[in-house]
Amino acid sequence: MESLTQSPDVRLSVGQCFRTLSTSSTEDDVTGALKTLNSLLDTQGDSPSSSVHQEEFRRSHYTRTLEFLISHIQADWLHNLTATQRTQLWDRLFLHGPPEQALLVLMEGIGQLSPSSNLDHLLSITETFLQSGRLTDLLWSYCLGTGPADSPQFREALLGRIVALPDHMANKLQLNNRTLFLPQNYYPLLAQGMLTALEKTCQALKGGSDCSLIFLAQILGKVCVQGHSGSVMAVLAPQLSKHTHTDMVWQRVCWKLIENVPQRWTDSVLPQLVQAVTRPDALGRIIGNVVVSNKKAQFVITHKMLLLQYKYETQVLRVILGYLAADRERRPLLLQVLRSLCQAWANPSAVKHTPLKQQMYISKALLLSIGLLNDSELKELRSELLQCLLGGMQSHLDSNVVQIRHIGMVVGECLSSYMDINGTKLKFEYDADEDTQELLSLMTPTTEDDQDPEHLTRNDSPDVSEEKTSSTASQNECSPPKANTNPDSDLDSDDELTPYDMSCDQKLSQSFPPRYLRDCIEILTSSDDAVRVELSMNVAENLVRKNPFAAKEISVQMTKVLLHIENKFNIDNFLALRQATMAALIVTDCIPVTQYLTTEFYSLNYSLRQRLDILEVLALAAQELSKPISNKTESCVSVASTSDVTVYPGDNPEHWRQVVEKRIQSKTKRLTKGTTQPCKAGPNRYAPLAGHFFFPLLRNYDKPQVTFDLLGSDHLILARLIHTLGLLMHLALNAPIAAQMGCALLDFVWTVRYHSEQTVRRGVLFAVCAVFLSMPNQNLLLDLGDQLFETRSWLADVAEGDADSDCRSLAVQSLVLLDKGLKKQLQDPQALSLES
Amino acid sequence: MSRPPPTPVYTLRGAGGPLNTLHFHCSQGSTPLLFSGSGKGAIHMYNLNTRRPERVIEGHSGNSVIWLNTIQSEQKLISQGRDMQICLWDLAEGRYDVVDSIWTGSVGFCQSSMLETSAGKWMLAFPGEQTEEIKIIELPSKTLVSTLVPDSKLGMVMCIKLWQSDLGTGPLLLAGYEDGSVLLWDVTQRSKLSQAKAHPEPVMCLTFDPTHLKGISGSSDSKLSSWIVDSQNNMQLQDSVTLVNPGVSQMCLRDDGKLLASAGWDHRVRLFGWKRLKPLAVLQYHTDMVLSVAFSNHQDPRQRLLAAGSKDHRISLWSVYSEGSQAQ
Repeated sequence: MESLTQSPDVRLSVGQCFRTLSTSSTEDDVTGALKTLNSLLDTQGDSPSSSVHQEEFRRSHYTRTLEFLISHIQADWLHNLTATQRTQLWDRLFLHGPPEQALLVLMEGIGQLSPSSNLDHLLSITETFLQSGRLTDLLWSYCLGTGPADSPQFREALLGRIVALPDHMANKLQLNNRTLFLPQNYYPLLAQGMLTALEKTCQALKGGSDCSLIFLAQILGKVCVQGHSGSVMAVLAPQLSKHTHTDMVWQRVCWKLIENVPQRWTDSVLPQLVQAVTRPDALGRIIGNVVVSNKKAQFVITHKMLLLQYKYETQVLRVILGYLAADRERRPLLLQVLRSLCQAWANPSAVKHTPLKQQMYISKALLLSIGLLNDSELKELRSELLQCLLGGMQSHLDSNVVQIRHIGMVVGECLSSYMDINGTKLKFEYDADEDTQELLSLMTPTTEDDQDPEHLTRNDSPDVSEEKTSSTASQNECSPPKANTNPDSDLDSDDELTPYDMSCDQKLSQSFPPRYLRDCIEILTSSDDAVRVELSMNVAENLVRKNPFAAKEISVQMTKVLLHIENKFNIDNFLALRQATMAALIVTDCIPVTQYLTTEFYSLNYSLRQRLDILEVLALAAQELSKPISNKTESCVSVASTSDVTVYPGDNPEHWRQVVEKRIQSKTKRLTKGTTQPCKAGPNRYAPLAGHFFFPLLRNYDKPQVTFDLLGSDHLILARLIHTLGLLMHLALNAPIAAQMGCALLDFVWTVRYHSEQTVRRGVLFAVCAVFLSMPNQNLLLDLGDQLFETRSWLADVAEGDADSDCRSLAVQSLVLLDKGLKKQLQDPQALSLES
Repeated sequence: MSRPPPTPVYTLRGAGGPLNTLHFHCSQGSTPLLFSGSGKGAIHMYNLNTRRPERVIEGHSGNSVIWLNTIQSEQKLISQGRDMQICLWDLAEGRYDVVDSIWTGSVGFCQSSMLETSAGKWMLAFPGEQTEEIKIIELPSKTLVSTLVPDSKLGMVMCIKLWQSDLGTGPLLLAGYEDGSVLLWDVTQRSKLSQAKAHPEPVMCLTFDPTHLKGISGSSDSKLSSWIVDSQNNMQLQDSVTLVNPGVSQMCLRDDGKLLASAGWDHRVRLFGWKRLKPLAVLQYHTDMVLSVAFSNHQDPRQRLLAAGSKDHRISLWSVYSEGSQAQ
C-alpha cells in the first residue's frame, strides 16, 4: 500500500528534475535538480519512507535517469559546471547507483557517441567504475541474490557486456583504446573481482546466510568459452588452490562454482583449470567429485583430454591421473581410463594412423596411470594388461618408424616390470634418446614436491638463503687448507704432475693383419681366431683398394664371403667395415659384382639384414663412383697452391696488408661463394655403369619367394629398395641412360604409390623427386606423355591428403620440380624443334 | 676427470729409415737443433724453428747409426755406427767433415757414453771387440784409460752409462749385460764395485740420475727395475714398474729430474714421475716400435720438448708437463 501511494512522489520529483534540466539554463536550477537526483539515490536519515523512495528510484527510475543524462551530455549546463561539481553531482550518479544498470547504460552510451570529449568523459567514468571495484559489487550483489529479479534476456545482455567489454571497447575505440580495457588487463581484474565475491560468499556462508553462485559460474563459463580462460585461470587457480588448502568452506564454494557452470561451457572451463593447477590434490580440492556427478565433466576429463587431445604437457597428465587416483569415488574412473588407454595403445590401426605425438602422449598417460595402481587393482587388471601388452607390442614393433618401435619397447619393459610375469621382465636394446628417457622417467613417481609452491616460497626461502650462506661459509673454511697443501707438494715432485688419461694403454695383439687379399678371404672363411678375423676385417677394404688387379680376380668370391659372414666375434663397427669393403669391391670391379649382388637380392634364404646390406652397398658404391676421381691429387694441388701463396716473413715485410687480408679470408665463411678453384672436368665413372646397378633391381619384384615377399609383409625392404632406386636415379644425373631409367622407375613405383606403409610412400615420393631432378627436361614430355599428367594429379592428391607430413612435403616438392621442368621445356621452343 | 691423452706438437718425417737415436742441441743463442741417426746411416740435422732438416750427413757408409752426441763448446758431433766406427765431425761454419774416427770393433748394438771430466777433456766409453768388453778412452787425446771385462760370464754388454758423483770421486760406469745384471765399475781402478741382477732378460737400456744416485733399467720383459747406489757404492734394487706390453728400447730422464720417458716396443712412449715412478701418460702416435726418446735441453723449461723416434721412420715431438716446471 505504502509503496503504491509513494510512487507518484518519486516519479513526480524525477520528472520535475528532468524538466528543469532540459529547459532551464541557470546554474542554480541545474545543480538543484542534480542534487535532488543524488539525494534520491542515497539514504538520507533513517526514515522508512526515504529508504522506500530510494528503493523505488533505484528500481524504476535509475536507468531512465542515466539515459536522460547521457542524452543531454551535449547540453550547455553540463559544460558550465565546475570540475568538482561535475564529479560530485554528475559522475556520482553513475558510480553510486545499482552497478548493473550503470554498466549497461554506460556501455550503451559509449556505443552511441561518436569520438568527442563527451565520449572521453564517459570512458573515464567507466574506468573509474572498474577501478573502484564496482564490478566486484555487481558480482557480489548477484551472489547475494539481492539484485533485481531480472529477465533471462537482461541476464544474458549483462553477461555479454561484462564478458565482452574489451571487445566492445576495442571495436568502438579502435586505436584510441584505454589500457584498462585491454584483455590482458581487464580479465585479471574480472578474475580478481570474482575472487573477492567468492571470499565474501565464504564469509557470508560462515555467517549463516545463503548465497548463489550461478551468476559467477555463468561469467566464468562465458569468459572461458570466449577464449580468455588463460588469463582468468592464471589468477584464479593459484588463489583457489591456496584458499582451499586450509578452508573447508572455500572447498565447498569452489565445488559449487564448478557444478554451476552451464553444461555447454564445461568443455572450455575444465581443461584450462587443469592446466593452471600444478598438483593433483589441488585439482581435487577445487573441483571436487564433479567428474562423478557431471557426465559432461567426466567426458572432458577422462576421455577428451586423455584420448582425443594430445597437446597438453606431461604435468597435465600427472594432474589428471593423480586427481582420479586420489579419491575412493573417483578410483573406478581411473581403472576405466586405464582400460581405454590400453585399448588405444594396443590398437594396431591407431599405431599406424595416428601421429607420433599422440602415441607418445597416450603412452605417457598409460605409464602414469599404471604407476598409480595398487596391488589389488593390478591383479584385477592383469589379464587386460597382458592382452594390451601382447597386442600392443606386436603392432608397435611391426612399425617402420623407429620412434614407435622405441615407444613399444619402453612401454613393454615398464608394463612387464609392473605385472611381474613369473618374475621375468622384458628387456630391449634401444638407444636412449629424449623420448625414451622421458617415458622411463615417468616410472619414478615424484613425491618430493609435496608442498604447494606457495607454501614453499613463503616458508622455505629464508632457510634456503641461510643454507646458502652457511655453505659458502663452509667453503670458505675449506679453502685455506687447500691453499696450504700447495707448498707441501714441492717436497714430492710426482704429485704436482697430474696424470693424463691412460685408458688407451692396452695390450698389443700378437698377430699381424693379412697382407694379401687371398689370405684375407682365407681367414674370413675358415679362421676361428677372433683377433685375426678382426684384423682381416679392418684391413680388407684397404687391400681391395691397394691392389685392384688382385681384387678383380676374386671380387665375386670375396663379395660372397662378405655377404654371408656373421659377426661371430662381436667386432666393433662390423657392419660399416663390411659395407665399406663391399663398396670398394664394386668400385674396383663393377659389372660382375653388381650382377652378383642384384641377382642375390631376389634369391632365396637371405635375411632382411643381408638384403638391406645389398641395397646399401649398391647405393654407397654408386655414390663413390659418381664422385670425381682422386681426392688425393686435388688436396695436393690445394696444398701446393697455398704454399705458393705463403709469404715468408722475411721476404717483404711491407705487405702486412696482404697478411691481414689473408687472415680475414681464412677466418671468413663464405656461404654464397663456392670453391674458388675451378673444378676440373673428369669423366663420370658412374654414368656408363648406372644401368648395371639399376635395371636388375627392377626385375622380379613381383615374384614372391617362400622367404621373401616384397609386395607383402616385407615392406621395409620395399621401402629401402625404392629409396635406393631413387638414389641411383639421382646419381645418374646427366648420364645418357637417365631418361630410360626415369621411365622405368616411374612405371615401377606406379603400382605401389598408394601403399599403406608411410615409409614406402615416402620412398616412392623420393624416387619421383629423383626422376624429375635427373631426367633431362626435353625427355619429360616426350617420353612420359600422358603418364606425366596422371602423376601430376596423383601428386596433388598426396600433397593435400596424405596422413604423413613428410609425404605431403615431398609431394609438394616433386610437384614444384615437375612444374619447373615443364615450364622450362615449354618456354624453350628451340629445344622442341631440335628434338623434332 | 683426467685429461685426454696428449697429442704430438708436430712430427718430423723424411728420415727414410728407423730412427735409432736422437740428440737435442739447444744452446742459448743458436738455433735449436735435433740430430737423428737412422738405420740407413744418415744423420739428419733438423732445425726446430723451421721444422725442416737443415742438413743430412752420410758418414757410416750406409750402416746404421746407433748413437749421437755433441760437444757443445767446439761444435763437434760424435756419431757411432754399426760399421764399427765412432766418428768425430766438425760442424763449425757450415762444415761437416770427419775430423777423427775411432775403430771400436764392436758388432753389437750397445750405445756409447760420454762424460766431460774437465774443461776440454772428455771421457768416452764404448763397447770393445770382445762382446763383454768396454773400452774407455780420453778425448781429444784418444789415450786408452781402461778396459773393463767382467770376471764372470755375463754375456754381451748391452748398454753403458758414464757418470761422476758430486762427491768428487773418479768417474764411474754403469753397464747392463745380456744376462740381465747391471754392474757398477770404477773406471780409474778398473774394478767392479757392485753388481745387481735387475732382470731375467737382457738389459736393453738404463739411465741414471747422479744427484739422487738412482737409476733405472729396462729390459725385453715388461718390467722396469729401479735401483740406487748407496754411499758405499753398493747397488740396491728398489721398486719396479710393470708395463702393459713388454720391451723397452730406450729411457731418458729430463734435466730437472722430474720426468722419465721410456720408448716402448709397443709403439708407445710412457712418461713416469721420477720420484715414485708414478705412471703419468702414454703417448700414442707411432705405428711401429719406438726406438729412441730424448728430452730437449732448452734453457727455458717451458720450451722443453720430448722427441721420440720410431721404426716407422717418424719423429714425434711432444710438449708435456713443461708448463709448470719453471718452479724448479
